[in-house]
Amino acid sequence: MSTLVNVARYHLVDRMTFVALPWGIMAFSFLVNVVVSATVPTGPQGIYTGGLATIYVFLLASGALIMTRSLPFGLMLGISRRSYYLGTTLLVVALSVVYGLGLTLLQLIERATDGWGLRLHFFRIPWIMDGPWYQTWLTSFVLLVLFFLYGMWYGLVFRRWSVPGLVAFIAAQILVALLVVVAVSMTHNWSAFGHFFTTVTAIALTGVLAAVAAAMGLGGLSTIRRVTV
Amino acid sequence: MPALDDGMPLFVQVAEQLADDVVDGALAEGARVPSTNEMAAFYRINPATAAKGINLLVDEGVLEKRRGIGMFVAAGAQEQLRASRRKRFAEQYVDPMLAEANRLGIDTDTLVSLIQGPGWHNGGSRP
Amino acid sequence: MTPTISATALGRRYRDQIALDDVSLTVEPGIVTGLLGRNGAGKTTLMRIITGLEFPTAGDIRVFGQVPAENDEVLRRMVFVREEQAYPDLRVEHVIRVASWFYPNWSEDLARQLLTDFDLPLRRRIKRLSRGMRSAVGIVIGLAARAELTLFDEPYAGLDAVARQLFYDRLLAEFAEHPRTIVLSTHLIDEVADLLEHVVMLDHGRVVLDAPADDVRGTGMTVSGAATAVEEFVAGRTVWHRQRLGSRASVTIADSLDFAEQAKARAMNLSLEPLSLQQLLVHAAGVSADEKVSA
Repeated sequence: MSTLVNVARYHLVDRMTFVALPWGIMAFSFLVNVVVSATVPTGPQGIYTGGLATIYVFLLASGALIMTRSLPFGLMLGISRRSYYLGTTLLVVALSVVYGLGLTLLQLIERATDGWGLRLHFFRIPWIMDGPWYQTWLTSFVLLVLFFLYGMWYGLVFRRWSVPGLVAFIAAQILVALLVVVAVSMTHNWSAFGHFFTTVTAIALTGVLAAVAAAMGLGGLSTIRRVTV
Repeated sequence: MPALDDGMPLFVQVAEQLADDVVDGALAEGARVPSTNEMAAFYRINPATAAKGINLLVDEGVLEKRRGIGMFVAAGAQEQLRASRRKRFAEQYVDPMLAEANRLGIDTDTLVSLIQGPGWHNGGSRP
Repeated sequence: MTPTISATALGRRYRDQIALDDVSLTVEPGIVTGLLGRNGAGKTTLMRIITGLEFPTAGDIRVFGQVPAENDEVLRRMVFVREEQAYPDLRVEHVIRVASWFYPNWSEDLARQLLTDFDLPLRRRIKRLSRGMRSAVGIVIGLAARAELTLFDEPYAGLDAVARQLFYDRLLAEFAEHPRTIVLSTHLIDEVADLLEHVVMLDHGRVVLDAPADDVRGTGMTVSGAATAVEEFVAGRTVWHRQRLGSRASVTIADSLDFAEQAKARAMNLSLEPLSLQQLLVHAAGVSADEKVSA
């Protein structure tokens, strides 16, 4: 167990990449949005912005970086690939709990100040992250983990199969998506599909996302098995 | 750093250098011999090689092990080594000298007078 | 006693190349083994398989009696210092600190001592270090880890002769104070010759020599002098190499000479020079190559 903790500590030595930058970038995006909503006239509903996406996208990049840049030295430390992966996942989960809480708090403050006095909806994403604090926390936690693991998987695919592997990886995902579309169309299930999305609760969707995150995790774990540095 | 490279196995050379010290009296009888680690560091060789050299001398009875304390020069070691080296002296030093003298046409009498010479080995100068 | 490393018919092939071919060897605990051979002989591949970084395509590898790959219990007891290790973008002091967490026998005092010895700037980013300094960082980690099995794969890239000697001296001191199993791969054989207790030589992925260093040392001698005298002296002995220059000859024989024989040679006005370990190993590799050709 302490090996996994030590892997987590290893990543945290580089606090810039995993702490300062994600929040820094998000803060920057937030400021931009504040300035924009302060200067541009807004309608009665206020401004809805996707600026929050920046933190998730950055975590995707962080995940990839962990598996490309930090991996060679990590394996030098006398640990198995599995331990490296699980230790990193432990960190990801811990960070996501904390960051999720941070995002939740910011959402609460945003609601309390009516969008920072500007009716800006930065931390409140309609329907999925606009509800009770515990649901926001859970959903942001799951999303953070998902993006981290997704990024890690990309990093590992690149390490193992280089650029051709990346291309194949992306192509495979597109293919899967296409297959889903074709399957739904062929079975004339579009209305059911749409119906699912209008009736599903945020919690249920979070459950689906959690399953996706778990799949990402397993995918990364199976990919790292044969990575060589 | 003493040169260790005259074709004999390393551990033999280590043993020879230790034996030299005993013959010279630099390592007195009953004196403690340097440890394998000390010798390894000094000669820059593997401690196992140094140990092998020491064991060679132990087998010959030149050194003795005192349990828990270390390796010591055995009683009578100096004389023992001198005796065995005296046996080798002829092969190692005299024969080559005679061969060279022969090659150069130096006869036995000249050779003897060279050896006895007005004490170049007593500090005097060559005739 | 279980050998520390045990390879049985180990093979590693890539699509266009066979890196290791039917390699079988054992490394006993507590000795210094030199893993020698030309560039591309398979030394690095073998060490990578031992440390679980690579997977064999044939045969079996055991370290401490177990398969090393993905085995935390075994991996924890090893440290592998390689040429060209990739480090993350951290400062030297951070890299050393991280390493200290993972090795149960880590010695902080030794690490600090070595950092001073090699004059390493603690606050500088590893990426900004010269090649030699980066090698020195690897050496610091490799020695301070005090791992039961310590592997060095040509760890001195970029280190000048003084720094290399420092490495050898520290390695020797550490080995003497805290014995461990050491495998050192190098092509600078003569620099480490006296440190080795056992030598394994690879050539084109195969083991061509696997013997105690003492068995190899001193098994060759070059006799030089007047041609007739030389020939008389070497009569009846196995000759490896002959060279003539006018009336002088230089013959390399496969023998070690005792005191009497050496004295005889000197009496015949012949000069003797023992072959260095490097020369002996080059010869051994050549012999095996010839055997392959004639087989």
